[in-house]
Amino acid sequence: MNQNSVKQTSVLLADDHTLIRAGLRMVVAAQPDLTVVGEANDGREAVAMAERFKPDVAVMDIGMPNLNGIEAARQIRAALPETQVVMLSMHSDEGYVLRALKAGAKAYLLKDSAEADLARAIRAAAAGKSFFSPAVGQVLLQDYMRRLERTGAEDTYELLSPREREILQLVAEGKSSKEIANLLNLSAYTVETHRANLMQKLNLRSVPELILYAVRKGIIS
Amino acid sequence: MPTAIESADAAAWKEPTPPSSRLRWLFLCVSVLLLALLLLSGALTVRFLGEMRTQELAATRALADRTRALSGLWLSIQSYDQAVQQFVAQTAADRDAEARRRLDQLTLEIASDFERYPRIRDSEEDALLNGMRHVFVQQRTMYITVLAARPAERRRQADNLAAEHLVPVQKQILDWSGKLQAWNGERLQHADRDLVSQFANLQGNLSRVLAVGFGSGLLLVLASMAFIVRLDRQTRARYVELARSQHALQQLSARLVDAQETERRAISRELHDEVGQSLGALLVDIGRLSTMLSDGPPEIRAEVKAQLDNLKSVAERTFQSVRNMALLLRPSMLDDLGLAAALEWQGREVSRRSQIEVSVDSESIPEDLPDEHKIYIYRLVQEALNNAVRHSGARNARVVAELKGESHNCQSIVVRVTDDGHGFDPARTRGMGILGMEERVKRLGGNLHVDSEPGKGTTVTAELPIPAAVPA
Repeated sequence: MNQNSVKQTSVLLADDHTLIRAGLRMVVAAQPDLTVVGEANDGREAVAMAERFKPDVAVMDIGMPNLNGIEAARQIRAALPETQVVMLSMHSDEGYVLRALKAGAKAYLLKDSAEADLARAIRAAAAGKSFFSPAVGQVLLQDYMRRLERTGAEDTYELLSPREREILQLVAEGKSSKEIANLLNLSAYTVETHRANLMQKLNLRSVPELILYAVRKGIIS
Repeated sequence: MPTAIESADAAAWKEPTPPSSRLRWLFLCVSVLLLALLLLSGALTVRFLGEMRTQELAATRALADRTRALSGLWLSIQSYDQAVQQFVAQTAADRDAEARRRLDQLTLEIASDFERYPRIRDSEEDALLNGMRHVFVQQRTMYITVLAARPAERRRQADNLAAEHLVPVQKQILDWSGKLQAWNGERLQHADRDLVSQFANLQGNLSRVLAVGFGSGLLLVLASMAFIVRLDRQTRARYVELARSQHALQQLSARLVDAQETERRAISRELHDEVGQSLGALLVDIGRLSTMLSDGPPEIRAEVKAQLDNLKSVAERTFQSVRNMALLLRPSMLDDLGLAAALEWQGREVSRRSQIEVSVDSESIPEDLPDEHKIYIYRLVQEALNNAVRHSGARNARVVAELKGESHNCQSIVVRVTDDGHGFDPARTRGMGILGMEERVKRLGGNLHVDSEPGKGTTVTAELPIPAAVPA
């Protein structure tokens, strides 16, 4: 592992199960650009360790004793805006995903596919991008389609203009209005307006909800 | 299973024999007898009084009849006397015949007056009347001898007649008539005395009947009061006993529910923490092995990879089923995300598994509810949705959980589960599920209300007070 040629990403692992943590550590350690700086046994410990080591990414199980992963993620994000959070969970349900996003997590991984996607998720989160296990997007999309079909509502995505769809994807990927404005050669004000319009059309109230929507529609993964 | 248990219970339950009904029958008979006695004596009294009144009327009428007949007779005799005197006094022979005819007529009138006197009379009255008739007959015989004389002689005899015969005879008739009158008065008094004694008799009888009726009535009242007091005491004792056993039953069922919840939680944690995590670790290891395999020799790579994939899919399936079992036993959302999220999750889960689309509105409920409240509300919604899925044939269901009440001291949570299924009659159908829900809600001091009608869907509403110690 050549530390000079690759930019090292420091990782904190938090899971109350030693076996899982060992497995995760081996997966992370196998990557040349990732370094495990600490391992926490529960949420409280994870917050304390994050404050001590200031890792680039904290990988966090949702179901932990003392302080659960979502609450720990919220505290870490509040104290250390530079530290991104990758959430690990057994559930692909919307409630978990949305709350993880609201707590400030960038990536959401299912435990049964963690070993395959963990490295990618950590790298995406470190770069400020969103990442979701493919199965999560599938479940969300299935729920969404079923609801549309049963309630007879129309797919609100059809209401969006091409420009709004473009901006939806960029916002969901974690870009700021300023970055988007630069990318599309628009004024930041125009981007804000498009963004407000599309959120109204889709009946979304926050960025986490927007990200969830994008995942559900398969716009990002 | 519940139905089988219920029917077995129903068979084991025997109707308890009610306390002896013989006493009740006795009371009824005595009351009826008493009432009959009072009624009978009342009727007899009325009839008797009626009879007395008729008797009294008859007596007065008899007196009036007699008095009238007597005075008529008296008047006729007077006129006869006068006619005789006139006849004697007159001398003209040409009017003799006419005067005689008149005398005959008056005689007939007197006879008919005698006849008109009331026929119903006893021997004494008869004797008196006959005496009077006798005097009149005497008088008449005497007159006839006088009348038979020639007019000149008659005049000579006239003064003599008036002085010697007429006056005493008239006096005699007056006497007889007075006697008769007095006798009549006496008889009336007698009748009155009779009536008075009869009335006194009646009074005595009535008082006796009343005394007997009142006495037995009093006895009856005392006995029934004692009976009622005894019944009341028994009822009270039974009520207390019932309330106590009901309370004990509630305690027991609450403890059962609690025990069940604790047990579920323990098993769920065991499954999730031990089995689930071991499987998770296994999966991670298998994944890592597959990636490491790329370094190995190609001839064994394919075979080992196939084995590993097989292992992985088995482990994944087991992982899923363990996860589902753990979730069923204890929704980890409750611990991880709180009640609102858990309810939403449940709604989506039911939507996925069944034909019902569930919408959930639970954002406004506080997250810092006691654990007991959270799990009860969760189970309540679970039960209601399960019922809707199994029995209602609904297409849509709605779960609303909201905070009610302004101040912190009297807040409560209202949970409402509505479906658009075919409904049922809650008064007749009361399944174990609803009973269980009710028990749970009651235990937390709340109330549960099932509102349904065939064809109108079902709404289950529960209101749970939040303990004041927990700030909302």
